[in-house]
Amino acid sequence: MIGETESTQRSAPSELLITRVFDAPRQLVWKAWTDPQHFMRWWGPKDYTSPFSEIDLRVGGRYLNCMRSPDGRDYWTTGTYQEIIPFEKIVYTDSFADEQGNAVSAAYYGMTPDFPLETLVTVTFEDQDGKTRMTLRHTDLPAGEMSEQTGAGWNESFDKLAESLP
Amino acid sequence: MRRDVFHALADPNRRAIIGLLANQKLSVKAVAEHFPISRPAISRHVRILAECGLVVVHQKGRQRICEARLDKLEEVSSWIEQQQKTWEGRLDRLDEYLNELKTKERK
Repeated sequence: MIGETESTQRSAPSELLITRVFDAPRQLVWKAWTDPQHFMRWWGPKDYTSPFSEIDLRVGGRYLNCMRSPDGRDYWTTGTYQEIIPFEKIVYTDSFADEQGNAVSAAYYGMTPDFPLETLVTVTFEDQDGKTRMTLRHTDLPAGEMSEQTGAGWNESFDKLAESLP
Repeated sequence: MRRDVFHALADPNRRAIIGLLANQKLSVKAVAEHFPISRPAISRHVRILAECGLVVVHQKGRQRICEARLDKLEEVSSWIEQQQKTWEGRLDRLDEYLNELKTKERK
């Protein structure tokens, strides 16, 4: 059975929020996210593979992962763990990288250079009726620019913007 | 310093300025009247928005008129669409893999 995405929404124009419930215990979902041997088994959409994963799971530790497309193109990503609460929460920065792990612009992979260089991913895990509810928040704001103040008023001002558009 | 639409939108005041300019052209002075912050601060935000391509400023007599360029916002939605597609694909596979793992552990 393919787990249905409970909700995918644009909580703000530059933030992606995905919630899924996996029919598996939290320890197992955590292992799939944090153990390279497990991680490589799913890190890529359908028909992609993951030939490489290195995870240094501690605050300040880095990871380097590779996702290989069906036509053989490798997409490397790297980043640093910002916060780790075992079995509950992982926060990490995310950048495209070359295979040595140096952060590169999206232009390196033929995408628009206007894409942000470093973004922030927050994944949380909760028990829900014997299953695991995972929430993934991917925001384009780099860690350094995140603040309470930045979050406040974000939705509000964009609600206004949406209303004012023809 | 980043000068792109993502940087422009990282600040709540700049988002509010874009919201204000979305359906009307306004002078920098008129924009400033909507905010509790100083006019030089508003000018600085408008300059950053202009550098990021979200606002165009024309000189009209003694006034500086600001006009929003909302098509630039598409860069943001295109980033989100791409991320969303990738994540949904990965999470489908994670779901399949977890089912596989569970079956193995039961054996």
